[in-house]
Amino acid sequence: MKGVIIRILRQMGNDRRTLALMIIAPIIILTLLYLLLGESSYIPKILVAKDFPAVLLTELKKQDVEVSFLDEGADADTLLKDKKADAIITTGADGMQIRMLESGNSKAALITTALKNASSAVSPPSSMNLTFIYGKIDSTEFNSLGFVLLGVLSFFFVFIISGISFVRERETGTLERLMATPIRRISVIGGYTVGFGILSAVQSALMILYSRYVLGMEFEGPVWLAVLIMVLLAFTAVSIGAFVSIFANNEFQVMQFIPLVVVPQMFFSGLITLDTLPYGLGNLARFMPIFYGCDGLEKVLIRGYGIGSIWRDLCMLLAFILFFFVLNVLALKKYRKL
Amino acid sequence: MNIVMTQISKSFGKTEVLHDITLTAREGEILCLLGPSGAGKTTLIRLITGGLRPDTGEITINGRKFPNMEALRSIGFMPQNDAVYSDLSGYDNLLFFGRLFGLSGVELRNKANDALSWVGLEKDKKKLVSQYSGGMKKRLSLAVTLMHNPSILLLDEPTVGIDPVLRKSIWDRFEALRLEGKTIIVSTHVMDEAVRCQRAVLLYEGRMIENDTTGNLLAKTAGGSLEELFFTANKAGDAV
Repeated sequence: MKGVIIRILRQMGNDRRTLALMIIAPIIILTLLYLLLGESSYIPKILVAKDFPAVLLTELKKQDVEVSFLDEGADADTLLKDKKADAIITTGADGMQIRMLESGNSKAALITTALKNASSAVSPPSSMNLTFIYGKIDSTEFNSLGFVLLGVLSFFFVFIISGISFVRERETGTLERLMATPIRRISVIGGYTVGFGILSAVQSALMILYSRYVLGMEFEGPVWLAVLIMVLLAFTAVSIGAFVSIFANNEFQVMQFIPLVVVPQMFFSGLITLDTLPYGLGNLARFMPIFYGCDGLEKVLIRGYGIGSIWRDLCMLLAFILFFFVLNVLALKKYRKL
Repeated sequence: MNIVMTQISKSFGKTEVLHDITLTAREGEILCLLGPSGAGKTTLIRLITGGLRPDTGEITINGRKFPNMEALRSIGFMPQNDAVYSDLSGYDNLLFFGRLFGLSGVELRNKANDALSWVGLEKDKKKLVSQYSGGMKKRLSLAVTLMHNPSILLLDEPTVGIDPVLRKSIWDRFEALRLEGKTIIVSTHVMDEAVRCQRAVLLYEGRMIENDTTGNLLAKTAGGSLEELFFTANKAGDAV
């Protein structure tokens, strides 16, 4: 097994492009997501009708928005479509009418927050102060979803590289040659798992440290525990990558498994709140290793839990590793029954 | 070590690749497997490496049923494709495979250097295999096969892509290894190489058409050439 581990580490050392994919690519993606999901400096433009309540207008102007009056006779929808304004507020018998271009974008969230704050300032007794047990109301999306990014990225890259390495081993005939030596099947799979595991440990530690100290991601719990979860998740990725490679005849076919193996797991990683899913679909997550990885990361990084609270996630990841490890050892029987 | 194959048959799906092969490869002998592409030479070699299991029949090595770990330690297998790691240096490839056969430390390094020197790759040992030419990869593959001094050599078309000078040197080496008492099975398309074997087996569409000493086989041909025998055998096989 030691021989296989040394070989994998040497191969990676010689293959700088693959090494870069494992180390630099996650760092680049994290940085990009930090910029995309981080604190926005955008100032939304709001146009209000002439009869907009003066007190509220004064408070609204104190928020991070640009407020001006809507011209008489101007068409609200045209102004929104032409991006002359992000929101147009008119008043009528049935209250305030707020019109925006489209639902579900971050501009709408900024405008809603500004209006809520202005409204609270006008009437303090009716103000609502939202607080959470875990996390802060003003946390950026990058901070809130950071644990998902770390889990998914660490799984994704290791899955691809281990899957492709195994297919290449079969394609080039080295696996056949390997199996004609006295090496045990368990040593081949063990060597692969540990070899890639060492690389993924380095990758995970770098990702965690970079997120924490360069991108300023807020971590509540111990960093080492987060690294441990990521390494276990990466070990699962190695095992699943090697397993999937059995059904692939070339490297391109390994890539075809991404929509089947990785993408569905991303949906159940914590991006969407599972309790709110219809038909009990959230239960599907129980069969997905990324769910346990991200659940553990959320508990450690966001809630500040210790190992005593995430033992179930760690056990499930270990169970996945063991399950696919055994399957891979059995699959090698195709090359040698012994 | 003697390899005995008894009534071996192997099919892939509905295609029968080997049919009822009974064959013995003896210690101190080079046994040549001859036949066109698809004759079953590679399948027969893969059965002896343990990479495939026969559907019927059995293989024994020194009287013990194969595969077993002890026999695997005695085998040096050279597959038809190069089967070396292109993102490792030639030297690192040898170190890796050497470790699998229990070599370590100074012995491992010495054997790796000896093997490289024998195939003429000592100057290129630190280069990545991806920078090797086709012939160099073939030589490295041969070095990997021989470095642990196996008692049994299974060589699937070992001299394809190798220049005539090195080819002669390789066959001289095989002869030296034979004289040391190794059991050598070589598959080849090249009839000239078959002449250097003690015995030759002619395979055609999975059936063993001839199995005799090369001397006897040559005597069967009017022109004294194995190539002629091969064509005759092909016709006979077609008639069957």
